[in-house]
Amino acid sequence: MSEYTPKVTGTGAKAAVQRFGGFLAGMIMPNIGAFIAWGLITAIFIEVGWWPVAQLGGFDGHTGLVGPMITYLLPLLIGYTGGRMVHGTRGGVVGAIATVGVIVGAEGTPMFLGAMIIAPLTAWLLKKFDEAIEGRVASGFEMLIDNFSSGILGAAMAVGGFYSIGPVIRTLMQWAESGVGFLVDSRLLPLASIVVEPGKVLFLNNAINHGVFTPLGAAQSADQGKSILFMIETNPGPGLGILVAFMLFGPIALRASAPAAIVIHFLGGIHEIYFPYILMKPRLILAAILGGGMGVLTNVILGNGLVASPAPGSIFAYMAMTPRGDHLLVLLSILVAALVSFFVAAVLMGFGRGEKDDAAGELSDAELSAHTKESA
Amino acid sequence: MTTIDGSTVRKLVVACDAGMGSSAMLAGTLKKQLKKSGVEVVHSPVAEIPADADVVVTHKGLAERARGVAGDTPVVPFDLFLGDPAVAKVVKAIQDKAQIDV
Repeated sequence: MSEYTPKVTGTGAKAAVQRFGGFLAGMIMPNIGAFIAWGLITAIFIEVGWWPVAQLGGFDGHTGLVGPMITYLLPLLIGYTGGRMVHGTRGGVVGAIATVGVIVGAEGTPMFLGAMIIAPLTAWLLKKFDEAIEGRVASGFEMLIDNFSSGILGAAMAVGGFYSIGPVIRTLMQWAESGVGFLVDSRLLPLASIVVEPGKVLFLNNAINHGVFTPLGAAQSADQGKSILFMIETNPGPGLGILVAFMLFGPIALRASAPAAIVIHFLGGIHEIYFPYILMKPRLILAAILGGGMGVLTNVILGNGLVASPAPGSIFAYMAMTPRGDHLLVLLSILVAALVSFFVAAVLMGFGRGEKDDAAGELSDAELSAHTKESA
Repeated sequence: MTTIDGSTVRKLVVACDAGMGSSAMLAGTLKKQLKKSGVEVVHSPVAEIPADADVVVTHKGLAERARGVAGDTPVVPFDLFLGDPAVAKVVKAIQDKAQIDV
């Protein structure tokens, strides 16, 4: 296989976009456990939740857990993680310090994006400082210099972030929110699937979801109790429809692996499992786009939203993050997406008849049967 | 062309974008297959492939990035997360302590 010929560098455009997206997503993804904890606490204890508790849910004059978690805990974790990615634990610490400045400087707006900017920047500055003084510190003064360089830089960036990035990001977030509001009201939001679905199968799934939708959605959810932005990239319907179509009408050698892939995708939430099926038959991206777009349209019409990001995009995570009372409506959006993508994929594969005429560039049946034999 | 010598592989890294989903799944499978061979199987984000890896497997959509990070360590790209022949070849080479070209 020619794919084994090594390319020397990782500098292609696709790799560069993946790398940047991966960096953004890398700040969010290790902290998804905290997002889920926040989502569960919100879904259960707020005033309209399953089991309202004022002291935990934060109503009737109580602070509650919900507000402090999204205002402080989550951005600080993101800031720490982002700083650590640039410059280890020292970077994480100054990243968290600087993040506080941004949080307080934009009161009322959850500062995920601000944290994702100022924390790596602060860590990078500390890294440059550490590199500049390397080997020049008098023996015995290392700890003093280390601690005070972190402390002074962190304090300066917290104050700077308070006056600069905090207010700027708050304005940007307000624009983004009204932009999303416009897309929802004018029912144009489904068009997002034209970009999102192809991006997904090129392994930009985490970058798109956690780099863009999770921060914006969390801000909207804190404001309105739920957000549709959590449901654009994560809907397991399109992947399910395509895998079922593969199971029934795909190349015969691939049909056998589809049921296991369905379980991993739909129940386990690992969407990556269906990307290769589309990459092998690239025209199936149309099925994903139409299925995804119809899923989004369903959610726009029904006014659906999730409390927090369902990560991974499993049906179980979806149900756990659905606000009380909306479960059937949310299931409907998954069903619509799955049916549309199944039907389109089935047509594109000629209901199993056209598979022998596949153009060059796609895997031949011989290669595919080699796959299944070795996997058996 | 790079040659992998199955008898010298001590640590196999499965890499994916986040290092949490598909790589964890495939690493779980390979761990079982390579248990008897005494090879350490770990999963990682493609940007943080550990320096002491002897061989890296990753989806071909991420192989370009993996090669940028892995340096001289051989990177084996694959198509399918379930039952890919390229992955099976690496597993077999390790089990048989044989050499393969990738």
